[in-house]
Amino acid sequence: MTFAAPLGLLALLAIPAIVAIHLLRRRFPVRPIAGLFLWQAAHDVPDGGRRIDKLPWTTSLLLECLAALALALIVSGATLAPSASSEHLVVLLDDSVSMTAIDSRGESPRARVVARVRDEINRIGPRGRITLVRSGERPALIAGPAAFGAEAESALAAWMPLARQHSLAAGLRLSRELAGDSGSLLILSDRQSDGTTERIVPGEIWAAAGIPLANIGIVDAHRSVNADTKQGALSLTVRNYSDAPAKRVLRVTVVGRPFKGANGASDTEILVRNVDVPAGTSSISIPLPAATPPVRASLSDDALVSDNAVVMVEPQPQIVAVDDRLKDGRGKAALEKAIGALAGVIPGSPGHLAFLDSSDVASGSSRTNGANLASGFSGTNGPPAPGVWQARFGRPAPPLAGDGTPEDFIGPFVLEKRHPLLQGVTLGGVVWTGVFPLSPGAVHPLASGGDRALIGTLAPTATAADPTFLFNLDLERTNLIRSPDWPILISNLVEMRRRELPGPERWNYRVGEWVRIRFDSQPARPLHLRMGTFERDLPGTRLVEFVAPAPGGLAKILEGDQLRYEIGINPLDESEGDLRRARTESIGKFDDARRERAIESGAAFDPIFWLLLAVCTAAMFCNWWLLSPRRVPARRSHSEGGRA
Amino acid sequence: MQPGIDWAAVQAAAAWRLVVPRTPMRGRVGERLGAGTGSSLEFQDHRPYVPGDDLRHVDWKAFARSEVLSIRLYREEIAPRIDLVIDRSRSMVATELKQRAYGELVALLASASTSMSADTRLVTSAAAPPIPLHRPDEVQRFLDCDATSGAMEELGLQLRRQSMRVAVSDFLFPHDPDTIVGRLARDGASLAIIQLTTRDEAEPDVEGGRRLVDVEGRGELDVTIDARTVAEYRARFNRLRQGLSRAARRTGATFVHLMAGATPRQVARVLADAGILEPR
Repeated sequence: MTFAAPLGLLALLAIPAIVAIHLLRRRFPVRPIAGLFLWQAAHDVPDGGRRIDKLPWTTSLLLECLAALALALIVSGATLAPSASSEHLVVLLDDSVSMTAIDSRGESPRARVVARVRDEINRIGPRGRITLVRSGERPALIAGPAAFGAEAESALAAWMPLARQHSLAAGLRLSRELAGDSGSLLILSDRQSDGTTERIVPGEIWAAAGIPLANIGIVDAHRSVNADTKQGALSLTVRNYSDAPAKRVLRVTVVGRPFKGANGASDTEILVRNVDVPAGTSSISIPLPAATPPVRASLSDDALVSDNAVVMVEPQPQIVAVDDRLKDGRGKAALEKAIGALAGVIPGSPGHLAFLDSSDVASGSSRTNGANLASGFSGTNGPPAPGVWQARFGRPAPPLAGDGTPEDFIGPFVLEKRHPLLQGVTLGGVVWTGVFPLSPGAVHPLASGGDRALIGTLAPTATAADPTFLFNLDLERTNLIRSPDWPILISNLVEMRRRELPGPERWNYRVGEWVRIRFDSQPARPLHLRMGTFERDLPGTRLVEFVAPAPGGLAKILEGDQLRYEIGINPLDESEGDLRRARTESIGKFDDARRERAIESGAAFDPIFWLLLAVCTAAMFCNWWLLSPRRVPARRSHSEGGRA
Repeated sequence: MQPGIDWAAVQAAAAWRLVVPRTPMRGRVGERLGAGTGSSLEFQDHRPYVPGDDLRHVDWKAFARSEVLSIRLYREEIAPRIDLVIDRSRSMVATELKQRAYGELVALLASASTSMSADTRLVTSAAAPPIPLHRPDEVQRFLDCDATSGAMEELGLQLRRQSMRVAVSDFLFPHDPDTIVGRLARDGASLAIIQLTTRDEAEPDVEGGRRLVDVEGRGELDVTIDARTVAEYRARFNRLRQGLSRAARRTGATFVHLMAGATPRQVARVLADAGILEPR
């Protein structure tokens, strides 16, 4: 038996103390009586005594000594093991997908890493503790901290590396924090350390279990539709990570639903053909009919399977309908010209975006101040419907306009560059004409000249929640419409509106990218993301954002049981496909002094601790029960003046 | 047979019976005068004759004097009711001496009750129904005292109206004598209270240090029994006994204190002196 805290054995002094108490305590002969209450006014005798009698080996004495012994052993950290120290090993696992590459023997770096961890678990023994950290942009624990070997084994079996290429630096920092002063750190990867952010320190081991392999992978993919020709296309960028050309079979299939092909037969397979892939980067373009459902393009298997296939969804163009209500003149012509140059824009009423003359806006009959003038519209064509953004030009209506005469500005202009409306806008050489003074606080200025707001936004109200932009500008006299900033400004405005249309921001994503999907109204039922067997809940808001999860595939966005959108998520990781940099080597050495240091789990993890605690508790309980006043024997002795 | 009880001595003391009170009582038809009208030989009153009355009870002499028919009324004859209330707490058997004395006293009272054709019942607790007693030896089944409290401490004892009551206990428990005696005497024809203690309980001697353990589980106490402690104890015990005696006097009951150790014959004599027993 060993002791973690030998000084705790001083608690054994309690045993002679207990014996002394029992030895010196006054012990009167017992006399059963009736009517104790008649005696209780008599003077009680102090518990202490003066005479030493033969020590009575009573049950109470034995139980008290047993409890004291057990407590002393607990305090001293007694354990039956030869040493109280146990090794704490922290293992950082490279979670990049290249760990799943299969070599000619059918083995992967993952399998070799798992075998290595199991060897380490056997080496540190049953008392050892292990912590498994999965690397990544946000490293995470998959076992521990300081887990038993069995827990680590089960976590290890479920571990499947799927992450994109990333640095192990963040994982190293977390692992070192977990290891502290007493733990050892083992980094398991399929490649070498980069020598900078991933540099190891003495006492750590970097073990690489990779084997250089040739590989061909799809590193980029696009799917498009020509609105004029109604012809779609799938473009693949293929990378051959070797010095020799190779042949592969390219297969394109429809994912998730039956599809009637060009020959009229219902078939999910659209294309199968042999492709020659030269060394380096090459492209493959595949024509697809418009409205083809999501397709899966895959190359025949090689070392790394995960980069051989992509799932691509046909993008649905988001058309912005523009309602041009400007009065005829230079400004209207310039606006039509700028809009005509933009793709995905059609005229429409009420549309998504309305260009108005400020003079057509009512003078605020339903407004309490100038800042709330967003919907006071009295144009000849009627007020814009809900969901219509407004861009107003010209002299603002009276509550908005302050007192003063219009002025022209040639600069300098102060622009809020971070606002998407003004990205790329410089207003260099622009003469901003007809600037009226505005009421204080009427607008939130985005561009200013002197003390006047040139462009501003009106605060949304309960009845006019859609954004309204106020251009304090006389379009007929300004040279802005002839400057390069004019089409940029209009384009920014249209693209801002386009981004706010319902639907996914894009239709195909890489793993790890942020996916943004906007709904036209608050979802009535819970939202789910389903991708094969993977499923998770999504926040039930109008704008849903989440990180595209690995390993990718066709992701379905469901509102309740109703399919709302389908998006494609693909690995498309050029760095991870390059298996030529994989290595098998081991750098570093564990610090023996650190390995022998005890972890702080202490004796509480030792079964002997719980045994002692149980003995102590049982002894104290039995002693209390024995000495309980309720347990006075019914008849001790019927002899007159009975003696103990 | 209860060990230690001298049943021969008890049988020898069977010549005693309980003293029947002079006040009228209630009971079944028997040989003792009751409170109501009956058919005994003791004249009680006259009343006018009404049709249906027994012609044998017409007072013809009075008719001759007054020419009015009247009926002679006589006292009823009853068998007295006796409720024997006994304390079955552990304190009654705290020592063998007290246990024997208690058994002999209860047997003596049972013998005195059953010998007078009385309707005798043994009351042991409020929860248990009273036990009819026909022979003296039937009491031995109820002398095994193992309760933590006695019948005297309980409320709601099932005592009969106008019954003769005899209560046996050591009364060594905290109590208010007026309350206990009043409870026992309420609606009774008579009440006799017999306190039975050992000499050590009444007049302890100086013994030195002792651990006193209450046999009814009411705690234990380390105490040095010296002259001062003994004096204080005796004073408290006397106050307890006098309190019972005073309470008995207030309710017209009879109180007697017995010391364990006397023979049944001696006990019977003491009870006779106190007016509880009388020769048959």
